[in-house]
Amino acid sequence: MVRLTIDNQIVDAEEGTTILDAANKTGIYIPTLCYHESLSPGGSCRLCVVEIIANGASGLVTACTYPVEAGLEVRANSGRAVTAQRLALELLLAQRPHSARLQQLARELGIDKPSFTLKEQECILCRLCVRTCGEIVGIGAINFVAQGIDRGVSEPLIEFSPVKCIGCDSCAYICPTNAITVEDVGDTRILTIPDGRLEFKLKKCNTCGKYWAPEKQLEYITQKANLAPDAFDNCPDCRD
Amino acid sequence: MNKVIFSSWAGKVVDNRGLHPNDYASLGDLSLPLEFNRRRVRAFMSWNGLVVADDKVDIVDMAYTYLKEVQKLSCGECSVGYLGIKIMLDVLAGIVKGKGRKGDIELLRWLGAGIKENARCDFCPSAITPVLDTLEHYKEEYIKLVAGRRRQAKSYMIRVTAPCMEACPAHQDVPGYIELIRNCRYKEALELIRKTNCLPQITGRACVAFCEASCTRNEIDSPLAIRALKRFAAEYGMDGGSEPAFKKISGDKSRVAVIGAGPAGLAASYNLALMGYKVTIFDELSAAGGMALVGIPPYRLPKDVLDGEVDTIKRLGVEIKLNTKLGRDITLEQLSSEGFKAIFIATGAHLGREFDIENWREGYPGLVDGVKFLRDVNLGKKIEAKDRVLIVGGGNVAIDCARTCLRLGFKDVTIVYRRSRVEMPGRKEEVEAAEAEGVKIHLLATPVKVLTEGNRVTGAECIRMELGEPDASGRRRPMPVKGSEFTLPADMIISAIGEAPDLSFLAQGEPIETTEQGTVGVDSLCQTSQLGVFSGGDCVIGPATLIEAIAAGNRAARSIDQYLTSSKVVSSEEDVKERLTHDIGLLRQRGGGIIARSQRQSPEQLPSPDRVQSFDEVEKCLTAESAVKEAERCLRCYRVMLLAVATRR
Repeated sequence: MVRLTIDNQIVDAEEGTTILDAANKTGIYIPTLCYHESLSPGGSCRLCVVEIIANGASGLVTACTYPVEAGLEVRANSGRAVTAQRLALELLLAQRPHSARLQQLARELGIDKPSFTLKEQECILCRLCVRTCGEIVGIGAINFVAQGIDRGVSEPLIEFSPVKCIGCDSCAYICPTNAITVEDVGDTRILTIPDGRLEFKLKKCNTCGKYWAPEKQLEYITQKANLAPDAFDNCPDCRD
Repeated sequence: MNKVIFSSWAGKVVDNRGLHPNDYASLGDLSLPLEFNRRRVRAFMSWNGLVVADDKVDIVDMAYTYLKEVQKLSCGECSVGYLGIKIMLDVLAGIVKGKGRKGDIELLRWLGAGIKENARCDFCPSAITPVLDTLEHYKEEYIKLVAGRRRQAKSYMIRVTAPCMEACPAHQDVPGYIELIRNCRYKEALELIRKTNCLPQITGRACVAFCEASCTRNEIDSPLAIRALKRFAAEYGMDGGSEPAFKKISGDKSRVAVIGAGPAGLAASYNLALMGYKVTIFDELSAAGGMALVGIPPYRLPKDVLDGEVDTIKRLGVEIKLNTKLGRDITLEQLSSEGFKAIFIATGAHLGREFDIENWREGYPGLVDGVKFLRDVNLGKKIEAKDRVLIVGGGNVAIDCARTCLRLGFKDVTIVYRRSRVEMPGRKEEVEAAEAEGVKIHLLATPVKVLTEGNRVTGAECIRMELGEPDASGRRRPMPVKGSEFTLPADMIISAIGEAPDLSFLAQGEPIETTEQGTVGVDSLCQTSQLGVFSGGDCVIGPATLIEAIAAGNRAARSIDQYLTSSKVVSSEEDVKERLTHDIGLLRQRGGGIIARSQRQSPEQLPSPDRVQSFDEVEKCLTAESAVKEAERCLRCYRVMLLAVATRR
């Protein structure tokens, strides 16, 4: 265990955990967007930025990525931290003003509307979907495409591999800005993604005849869990 | 450019505006470029500040142009860096078009300061520094533009680099391929590596990794495992077991002869083949690879891996003629008459340096030259293991000999090195691995005489050394301690005290100049004294590294292409920029933020000491999980440099 202070409160935290973990455990609120307890930290949204004082030096770090250290002094609420949090949110809000999640964060941070405008883009590049697909689903069908020297990427984006994607809709579930949405129409699942849409054939229940899950997803689970080939012939409602 | 109107370089502000040039304060030790390709440098902007030499330069336009370059590199992985710069550019675009609005300057400063404080990696915070300097020190220029003044046409030169890229002789885009690995785009990572390094499997295993020595993380925890990441990309980037497709220019270009199938020759051939030339490599040995084949033991570089790299180059149409020695089987003149329009000599440095101690030259069995020893072992010659072997020297050849001896079954393997551990030129991790395997290292001692009984070597008389003043190499000179002689018993002694090029082929009357150091003489563009003949690698610079040889091969290919297409070989603009960056020095950017420490991921190794039972490869490839984790540690220290130069008359 290491002892640190967050906003003048003494906190004992397990080594290897982050400032955000320690704050959450103590009930100290730090705004987050791209953080999820089940995923590796992304450090993308920059909302959880806090001021730290370590060895006499002060600086800003993201609470979701910075590991706790003995004697660390964290100011989650200092003027410097809050200014940085607000700028990060204003930028995200300018990118996606119609997101309910961002509007709610804006209210929490006392932001009325952003000081600047951008062409609205549904995807704010938080990479929650990328991490979910890779770490939770175990597929890695969504990749982040970053800019770089002569890489010919005009805008960074997330890219779906239609071959790998199993249509499970975890990405749509986790997306905070509705940049990815899902709809089942008849025997087809339609995944609407930032630059297009993907379609998946749904499996029909042998008993009730309802289309209930993408065939590709069921094949993946069957294979991964080593189930019998007929394990998903019936929908959950019609199984014994 | 030491007398300048304004400088914020390295955070030190020198402001001579309004002063007579005679009264200008100097920049001190800073040496900044005066001209670029014979054009006057008017101003300069980069990670470390802003320097202005011409008060008519349009600072705002310069900042705008610079920031546009910065945006191309802003990865998009964080809101503040990517979106912040996007908005700053929108605002700046308005200002330079004369459509600035009240409050724009404050908005720029707020965004710039926010990026500096809270962007994710090392790139945007350092890149924004000179823009903030313009906003602080040249605010009136912005105000004039907001008030409606129009800008004029300008001329700029731009270069992007990074500390690791700069340290690499081949200037590989290290942050670029690490980023692709982080985003699980392994094939693209390999493609990117292949643009400047045609031997990723080999360098991914045996490169000395100058990049790692200059990694920004050295100041925080430990450098990125760049070499291991390269190997990872080389293995995981294979598309279903085969190399990604190559972009080869098809055409009917001239024939080029390459002498030597080592790293330099292979690199030149690879590049020339991609450009459409018909390349034939001639090599003296019975297999291709040069020093990579005969100098790197298989436990570091398995033979099939090397063969794989060579095969890839062959598949591009490169022909390799083995057992063919320049000066013995072919001559330069012959090659020209056979229709080769250009020749690249890359014969390496395969001669052991003469060991000058008493009884060495008597030629007793058991006295061996290290380079020859490794060559024999690597080419499959049977070597009888003895009980005790002494290896003289502290470089990589000495370490390779020692670890090879253990694997051949030698019982007692001792390295004798005349200086102390810190001066050992061998790679630290290699030295550590050798010790872990059981190699003994005897420091501050050197043999002075071979001891014999009849026709048999029994040991060496050694003398202890102490370190004196630094010598030409900057290392402290070893001095013998009088009366400290002692004996080390041995059945075999290997001398690994340095290598030199074998230029005997030139003695046959080839009209190519050599240097006093016994190497081939070339200019900075790899041209020898004979028109159409180029040279590079160890035979030019003396025994060096894989990556220096690859860089020389890349360079030679560009020169040969120039020679064959325009018969004029000149420095490219990129070369000039490279020299310029070198002159300025890649100083650490000002005011970097706090970066969390993280654990370097290391590839798994075969357990020691059991691994000496075979020549099996010691180091494994990183797993996908650890490679991505390691790639996450990269701080992406790209640096953008922009020069405002006088327009060409």
